[in-house]
Amino acid sequence: MTMAFDQVRYRSRRRRSALTMGLCWFATAVGISALLIILGTLLLKGFGGLGIGVFTQMTPPPGSDGGLLNPIVGSLIMTVLGVAIGTPIGILAGTYLAEYGRHSRLSSVVRFVNDILLSAPSIIMGLFVYTVMVAPMGHFSGIAGAVSLAVLVIPIVVRTTEDMLLLVPTPLREAASALGMPRSLVIKQVAYKAARTGMITGVLLAIARVSGETAPLLFTALNSQFFSTNLNAPMASLPAVIFQFALSPYAEWQKLAWVGALIITAAVLTLSIAARALSAKGSK
Amino acid sequence: MTEISTAQKLEAGATAVSPDVRISINNLEFFYGTSKALKGINLPLYANQVTAFIGPSGCGKSTLLRVLNRMYDLYPNQRAEGEVLLDGQNILAGDVDLNLLRARVGMVFQKPTPFPMSIYENIAFGVRLYEKLSKADMDVRVEQSLNRAALWKEVKDKLTSSGLSLSGGQQQRLCIARTVAVKPEVILFDEPCSALDPISTARIEELIDELKADYTIAIVTHNMQQASRVSDHTAFMYLGELMEFGHTKAMFTRPQNPKTQDYITGRFG
Repeated sequence: MTMAFDQVRYRSRRRRSALTMGLCWFATAVGISALLIILGTLLLKGFGGLGIGVFTQMTPPPGSDGGLLNPIVGSLIMTVLGVAIGTPIGILAGTYLAEYGRHSRLSSVVRFVNDILLSAPSIIMGLFVYTVMVAPMGHFSGIAGAVSLAVLVIPIVVRTTEDMLLLVPTPLREAASALGMPRSLVIKQVAYKAARTGMITGVLLAIARVSGETAPLLFTALNSQFFSTNLNAPMASLPAVIFQFALSPYAEWQKLAWVGALIITAAVLTLSIAARALSAKGSK
Repeated sequence: MTEISTAQKLEAGATAVSPDVRISINNLEFFYGTSKALKGINLPLYANQVTAFIGPSGCGKSTLLRVLNRMYDLYPNQRAEGEVLLDGQNILAGDVDLNLLRARVGMVFQKPTPFPMSIYENIAFGVRLYEKLSKADMDVRVEQSLNRAALWKEVKDKLTSSGLSLSGGQQQRLCIARTVAVKPEVILFDEPCSALDPISTARIEELIDELKADYTIAIVTHNMQQASRVSDHTAFMYLGELMEFGHTKAMFTRPQNPKTQDYITGRFG
């Protein structure tokens, strides 16, 4: 047997393969190093300021020491509330798109509008809630902040819910129907169960997304130096405090801004990893 | 029973005494949008017998099966015309309760479709839709159904593990158990072995043979040997039409229609 293939052609193929591989490695390195630089900087500048005081003291006036208790609590309240408002609406709308309205004209319209919302700048959402809530109420408030976050959560959850439900195989639905199961039960007991991990991942990603949002909160919850759980009053949040403190000329404030940034990043990272772990477990 | 006269005529030469007709299909036409997939089908399904639908891909045999529990109703643009009588009641009528119909006419699919829940729940779930059983009664029903599907011995110690943890053949028997548990009158099998290995296939075929004592069975299969092994009657379909219907033995030894002859001898398909 003689190997009759074209050596020149084969070598040039190998060269091109090596070149492409090299470019891929380079692109990966650029992406990962950007992430590492961000994390490194945050750790370097923020970790030193991290202490128990950060979680127990209020934001200080300029020139003195303090913590981030009020913005941490504010962020938690508004994020939890925003997700609690946005998730059910998102799941129900996503269910409509994937199940009941799969073939209807209304769904294509809803899907299109949802895609626009998904990519709309968050500052627009803030302005929207400002117009419909803050202006009529006459003042900034935590509840308006939560609503603006909910408006951001909805399109994300709609999208992931629909996508995950569409992945549920048709034969599984048919098998459930073939037992004489009504449509609503097929969705609730079989489709949701099969799509559960994906849907939870979607919600986790939505939380990760909104917990770092600044713009919509500046227009709705504003900010506050005081500890407050009153939803009817302005409320502090980590992103807003970072924004305010980082731009200030005071060293203590700048330091706290770094600590706040580190806390948010760590929280979002944890959520994203949890989401990944969950979806990896779900796909097994 | 004039509506089954055509079918009976087809069979007249083969049998003197006709068994009870459980389902009678009369002048059935089926449409996907505007394209006609079934043309004037007339066919009886006999109680406690296995009827096989054979024919080349796209001949309409699965479509016909999916009319019998109105599975097609899940999709817009699919519709059936004509008459399908189940115990004398036209199931194509608009006022038929589809969920109740499907509880009476069970279906086992090509690929095993266990629900994402435990083995026990896979069976109890369907039962709970229509019956309120005590825990003890439910346990009995689950065991009976698994026994019926020849799966009990293999899973009795792991009823709480996921139905998805079973092998393909076991999953398919779980699906049969699940169907049997609801106590249907008719069971439809849509190529139930096409995703299974030969050993699992043989087990499912044995099962079908046992099940016909209690149920009326229709099976769609690509596999001619399977049709000849498991069925009492065979319907040969081609391009949406019923070409020939008769006793399986007769049809496989001396088919009346030259098309049937060509198909079962492997000349096309």
